Amino acid sequence: MANEIAIEELRAFAQRIGLTLPDDELQRLLPGVIRAQKQAAELRALLSNSDEPAGIFIASKKNQR
Amino acid sequence: MENELCYLSITEAAAALSKKTVSSVELTEACLRRIEAVDGQLHSFITLTADRALAQARQADHELRSGKGRGALHGIPIALKDLYLTKGIRTTCHSAVLENWLPDRDASAAINLAATGTVLLGKLGMHEFAFGGPSTDAPFPAVRNPWNTAHIPGGSSSGSGAALAAGLCYGALGSDTGGSIRTPASHCGVVGIKPTYGRVSRYGVIPLSWSLDHAGPMARSVEDCALLLQAIAGHDPRDPACTDVAVPDFRATLKDGIQGLRIGVPRTGWFDENLGIAPETEAAFNEALKILESLGAAIVELDGTPFSVTRKANQTILVCEAYAYHEKTYQETPLQFGASVRRRMLEGAFLSAVDYITAQRARSVLNEQICANFARVDVFAVPGAPRPPEAFATVDPNEQNLRPSFTNPFNLTGLPALCFPCGFTEGNLPSGLQIVAPPFEEVTCFRVGYAYEQATDWHKRRPVV
Repeated sequence: MANEIAIEELRAFAQRIGLTLPDDELQRLLPGVIRAQKQAAELRALLSNSDEPAGIFIASKKNQR
Repeated sequence: MENELCYLSITEAAAALSKKTVSSVELTEACLRRIEAVDGQLHSFITLTADRALAQARQADHELRSGKGRGALHGIPIALKDLYLTKGIRTTCHSAVLENWLPDRDASAAINLAATGTVLLGKLGMHEFAFGGPSTDAPFPAVRNPWNTAHIPGGSSSGSGAALAAGLCYGALGSDTGGSIRTPASHCGVVGIKPTYGRVSRYGVIPLSWSLDHAGPMARSVEDCALLLQAIAGHDPRDPACTDVAVPDFRATLKDGIQGLRIGVPRTGWFDENLGIAPETEAAFNEALKILESLGAAIVELDGTPFSVTRKANQTILVCEAYAYHEKTYQETPLQFGASVRRRMLEGAFLSAVDYITAQRARSVLNEQICANFARVDVFAVPGAPRPPEAFATVDPNEQNLRPSFTNPFNLTGLPALCFPCGFTEGNLPSGLQIVAPPFEEVTCFRVGYAYEQATDWHKRRPVV
């Protein structure tokens, strides 16, 4: 599992994706981001290579442009 | 007398309209007077459409008198959560972002309800963009619980739950991405169903998370909920997730009873997660199971572990999709969002594509594990919420992650889930029970809910507002 994100990384990442957030807002955001990343990572333990995502693309006439 | 009129069920009001002992205008005026009298304490309505409602009521009365009745909903005053698009009527999502937005079209569910002759009283308060907690920094006040205004009504369809409990409308629409119909139903002592994913069109419902959002009705009785679902269910090509399956008569088997029904309770490995279920809530739930047993059902204990894990996948998908929808606004004016919804949604900005796909893969696995239980049982029974509604003064937004979520699994799996009243705490706050059925078997949820309702009187209790 990757290391917990630090505030400096959060700030840099926010800037990279076009978010301008004040420092106090980033501080308040950090615990939620750490929790969200941790729980997303924990889901990997459930999976085998054969498991596909729930949403799959289905070709149909509607999709033809 | 006035309050009695406001607290009629839809079926009772429809019977009175049919016998002409009451008119739609009288029902509408009674609701409007009650809204005027009590909604200053509750804040359940954001926008009231009184003039339009009275015009619709007069039209309904004219049609009913002319023998052009359109069914049980004709002339019945209802209201919509303020994320259903309504042409020319402000649709805010309880947010400064859309504070004065006038849509140029109607949501499909709003169109379908209008086609049955319902009267639209107005638009209902909610959690901002259907996410986070009670919105205390939005341009509209947070909705209060009619059973005790110091307590939250649950959300995000908080105005729908509060307005029904307070007798301000006869039916309402909510939406449910992680429990947003069922939690306010549980906390306000009313009935709500999250139908099967694909049963009701989401066209014109402002999205929170496309793959988890469900549109659905709320009411004061199980039968009323079935009537409302009948009006809004069905295929809609404008919603790519709306399934082209036959819509049954949701009331056809309502009175068939539950003799021999197998009810699964996924308690082990779930109900005691972290802080666990509150003792008062579990006691009410256990009492409800005894009543269901006395009506002929068999209770089967199930492994709750996969149900417990769903929250991680649900929340990962939800925040990613929600952020994707709102990305431009976050980049341009992030502080327009209230603090609660802003911090939760922004989590999605910092998750990766692999995180999102992993969650969607986990969704497949968990769906299979959960639905495998239908080989042993006909429905699941779980509490509507893990604890009674909290006081505003003590709401801790982080605590919801420390209690089991009894609603998330059924957004992830798309299974139909009906929530109805099953008791009260010592402090006179409602508790709810959920019945969950296999896909597109809402009729079974309604059958169990109706049987339980006939054996109890929780749904008949009224708050003093």
